[in-house]
Amino acid sequence: MNAQPFTSESYSGDAGEAAWQDVLRGFGLQSQGARHGSPAHASALSRLSSTGVRLGKFSADAQSLRPLPSRSGLPLLLMPVENSTVLVVDGDRQIVPAGQIILAPRAGDWQLQFQRGLRAVVLSVPAEAFRGRKVPPLPAAPPRVFEAQGLPDIMGRTALATAEALDRLSEAEWEAVAQSAAELLLALSGELVAATSDPSSSRAALLQRLYATIERSMGGEDLSITDIAQAEGISERYVQKLFEGTGESFSHYLRERRLQRAWHDLANPAEAAVPIAEVAYRCGFADAAHFSRLFRERFGLPPRELRRREADRQAHSAVASGQRGWPQQALVQLRAGQGAGGPARRPALREGGEASAPVAEAQTPARHYLPVHAQHVHWGYFSRSLEPLIEIASGDIVTIETLTQHASDDPERMIEGDPGAESVFHWTPTAKTVNRRGAGPLDASVFGRGAGEGFGVHICTGPIAVQGAQPGDVLQVHILDIEPRRSRHPAHAGRVFGSSVAAWWGYHYSELLSEPHPRECVTIYEIITNADEPYAEALHSYRWEPQTDPSGVQHVLYDYPGVLVRPGTVTLQANVLEGVRIPLRPHFGVVAVAPREAELVDSVPPAYFGGNLDNWRLGKGATVYLPVSVPGALLSVGDPHAAQGDGELSGTAIECSMTGTFRVTLHKKADIGSTVLADLTYPLIETPDDWILTGFSHPNYLAEFGASSQSEVYAKSSLDLAMRDAFRKMRRFLMTTKALSEDEAVALMSVAVDFGITQVVDGNWGVHAILSKRLFAQHRRSESARDI
Amino acid sequence: MTKHHLPATPDTVHWGYFSKTLAPVLTLKSGERAVIESITHHANDDYARMIEGDRAAEEIFLWTKDQKTMRRRGAGTTDGPFTYGSGEGMGVHLLTGPVAVEGAEPGDIIEVRVIDTWPRPSANPAYAGRFFGSNPAANWGFQYKDLIEGPTPREVVTIYELDMGEAVVRALYSYLWTPQTDPDGITHPTIDYPGVRVDHSMVVKKEGILPGIKVPARLHFGTMGLAPAEADFVSTIPPNYTGGNMDDWRIAKGARMYYPVAVSGGLFSCGDAHASQGDSELSGTAIEISLTGEFEFILHKKEQLEGTLLEGLTHPLLENDEVWSVYGFSVANYLAELGPDHQSEILKRGSLDSAMRDAFRKLRRFLMTTQNLSEDEAISLMSVAADFAVTQVVDANWGVTGSIRKSIFPAR
Repeated sequence: MNAQPFTSESYSGDAGEAAWQDVLRGFGLQSQGARHGSPAHASALSRLSSTGVRLGKFSADAQSLRPLPSRSGLPLLLMPVENSTVLVVDGDRQIVPAGQIILAPRAGDWQLQFQRGLRAVVLSVPAEAFRGRKVPPLPAAPPRVFEAQGLPDIMGRTALATAEALDRLSEAEWEAVAQSAAELLLALSGELVAATSDPSSSRAALLQRLYATIERSMGGEDLSITDIAQAEGISERYVQKLFEGTGESFSHYLRERRLQRAWHDLANPAEAAVPIAEVAYRCGFADAAHFSRLFRERFGLPPRELRRREADRQAHSAVASGQRGWPQQALVQLRAGQGAGGPARRPALREGGEASAPVAEAQTPARHYLPVHAQHVHWGYFSRSLEPLIEIASGDIVTIETLTQHASDDPERMIEGDPGAESVFHWTPTAKTVNRRGAGPLDASVFGRGAGEGFGVHICTGPIAVQGAQPGDVLQVHILDIEPRRSRHPAHAGRVFGSSVAAWWGYHYSELLSEPHPRECVTIYEIITNADEPYAEALHSYRWEPQTDPSGVQHVLYDYPGVLVRPGTVTLQANVLEGVRIPLRPHFGVVAVAPREAELVDSVPPAYFGGNLDNWRLGKGATVYLPVSVPGALLSVGDPHAAQGDGELSGTAIECSMTGTFRVTLHKKADIGSTVLADLTYPLIETPDDWILTGFSHPNYLAEFGASSQSEVYAKSSLDLAMRDAFRKMRRFLMTTKALSEDEAVALMSVAVDFGITQVVDGNWGVHAILSKRLFAQHRRSESARDI
Repeated sequence: MTKHHLPATPDTVHWGYFSKTLAPVLTLKSGERAVIESITHHANDDYARMIEGDRAAEEIFLWTKDQKTMRRRGAGTTDGPFTYGSGEGMGVHLLTGPVAVEGAEPGDIIEVRVIDTWPRPSANPAYAGRFFGSNPAANWGFQYKDLIEGPTPREVVTIYELDMGEAVVRALYSYLWTPQTDPDGITHPTIDYPGVRVDHSMVVKKEGILPGIKVPARLHFGTMGLAPAEADFVSTIPPNYTGGNMDDWRIAKGARMYYPVAVSGGLFSCGDAHASQGDSELSGTAIEISLTGEFEFILHKKEQLEGTLLEGLTHPLLENDEVWSVYGFSVANYLAELGPDHQSEILKRGSLDSAMRDAFRKLRRFLMTTQNLSEDEAISLMSVAADFAVTQVVDANWGVTGSIRKSIFPAR
């Protein structure tokens, strides 16, 4: 389970209070009023392990915490940080300074009063956390405060350090730390027992030591009651008697613990490669067949079956928690030589004849038309190895039809009756016209989602080769026009539709407020083009339900593009966003030249070569300049959007098929030295009024992370990094093209350049910097660069 | 309509802090207007152009061996010996106020409408009637540890002139900050205490900078807000839930700001005026200038908020003709969240990532509460129609604005 952030800021009024009590309930606590001042505030970061261990750090207004009787387990650990707290037991008050820890029973009459604001770390360990291992019954001790020294100090520091790193620990790291924290708390709880002097608790303490000895020694095949007795310096008979008191024999307990440990090791993904016989041996079973039989009797399934189920569960939960791009592990295997298959081989150039060649060589500029169909697209990836569909000359005008990959969200409105769309989306049990979707393995060996695994999702039309383009040149792509693609379905003919998915890769996904969560929600929009100010309005929405694709793979999440949502599998909700009109901002999310670093590149993270820029300013009348990095440049366009906000928060815009007309101009490296394109190493957008520079968390993530780039970029994105990149790019642009000193550039950036958030959902997050051309209307400095 | 006038004088300004302990210098009724003068705390970057001849400015900035009109500058200690000076420069803005609104109580909202703003002319006969501002690229700027030209690190002050006819600002000259010793004998190697007069015989002026470049004017007050409840003296630098140093150039003529009231009377102060600023305020300051503003104050009582735009509002909200904007911060209420050392702890917390998170949550709540959208509707709308922008990355508690256009809701 991922770390769960909570803040009352997300809620209105009393809903915040109720949600806060929910958070506390998870720890077996409740808050008692005494909240004054405005606004009431509470925030927490907490995380739950697979064994039920829950750790959290709270920060809230002054209030009191009391136990809420809950399931059995170790005493709760509470540690005030920064401020002291007052422990009240039966009317007695004790001040507990910050840094000391309190062990308090899960029920009883006690409370903690945080008078100067609640700041605390809380650890809850339920009985199940020990997977069947015996935890001796603890006497109902009152809350106890431990000075910060020795074991309590280690416990406290561990809890605090972990609480502060909760959102940075990987799943495996968190599980390991949670289990260690549980062990520490168990050991500390033992001190509660030792501290009381009645004979039953000294027996419990001895039994606890016996259990611990068994845990350490159970790997030895011939571990006997004699060994255990010797280790503790007591008689065999006494050991037997102690166990009889628990209602279970020594040998039965030992076998149970060995089987439990085997279960645990077999279910551990990190040990998936260890042979079952070896797991059995290390748990004290010399005979693998005997072990298998005992295991099946105990758990009702053979060890091999457990392993398979756990592997499935792991793969699934990895997806559910937002695994995008290549998993690190899979990339390692890929490098080890299991090829991923190259880009799709398509029929030779111009087969089918639709792509029109220049009308006449002499005519300038030549016009080209590139219709969309299965042979004209590459889906979810860029590749330097793709065969170009056409070759054009610098200055030519090319009209390119593009399809949104979200047309499958409403096939009736966005695909049916449209031969181009039908050709691209065609997918039956026996035929799938565009097989590869994404830069992943063709055999879907990582997740089993489908060919290419959806590591990259955009339907790109192209690539187009530009005559004479060489690495170091700059390609200018100017958008002359954008036309929406109209529905061809008889019931909707002539109308325009789009889809927006609040998807699992969205910024909101980890912290949805309302039930059920997590969830994905698709909203279908109609684009109204015949109004004075064209707009989009929502038609209906539906919650994503598991969809089974024609190849038989079930998609519980929106994890593979182009899965046709079948009528009847989802429940449409009408009256969505009633009366809301969204002004259009038609643009292309993806404009790319092929990157040089890798054979197959995921289409999702944008970078120096352009790609999934998702900047709505790249619409009609705008230009993007892209640094060429392979011969011919290999231009592709896709991911058309009818409207998008800065941020693209939910993961998608209003995704809507459109046709664009572009003028494509090549600027040779030798000619750009004294122009605004000098030194261009990133996508530069120009509109009639502004220059827009594109900053990314990782400007060239392919080069920066090398072989693991297509996994790392998803893990390491941040707006802070993207802001840093945008600042550096703008400084360089002003110094290089406007001949400003660094001081002038910095001064100008502070008072006249606007930084905005492009997107926080495309792996490589974006911050753009907007420079108004108006500033320079009368700027004279001889070294300034020429305009293009 | 009653229109009050609040000039900037030593008795009507406070420097570097908000405080619930300050007695109001003006108390007005909901619906009334006030014309409030402000003087920029950077005026001493060029004494001749921005202070000399202006009696009020001269008095406020007066600081000799024997006399310092405004002793306390900042929320820090006022007991010496000092590292930087009284108040320790923990907060730098010279604010006019506080103004109390009759009947305002915690839980209410005060709306402040910016009716108009105009610059304060130079009173020096040599520059009479002209308008000047200063823009230091300071040690707290985003560039400071990331400079590529020498010497590093450095602070550079650029002096600008505002042309109201063309509504543009042009750079006049710049100089490198050199250590300045104040009248109490403390040397300031960097810009670490406000109002230290820069000795122009010690700096080298660079002329001809940013030649021909015209920065469009965006007159606004960088700091406007109410007194917080959590502490007696609060630095003016980090913006927070009661407003303060928002540094958003959209809080300009025509804007309506809504602030949650934390203490009786609200206690509104303003200052830190800017002739222009970009989104991010990258170098640490805008074009800092003295402005006078006319404001209208409207009190919205707690009981009347339900069903309005202000229901559930726990943070500053901007409304103008085009948009509503919510303000996300790295830490939404750093005074409440960061514990006893909040004023120093917040200096380590500046991050756009946490500010974006906060802006997202605030805009979601705003859309769900005031536009009655479901969570799914709010999220879809935010993705396709809301714009998130960087407000500032230099005020300790960094800001991201989430804006939604009002025209999106024509039928409402």
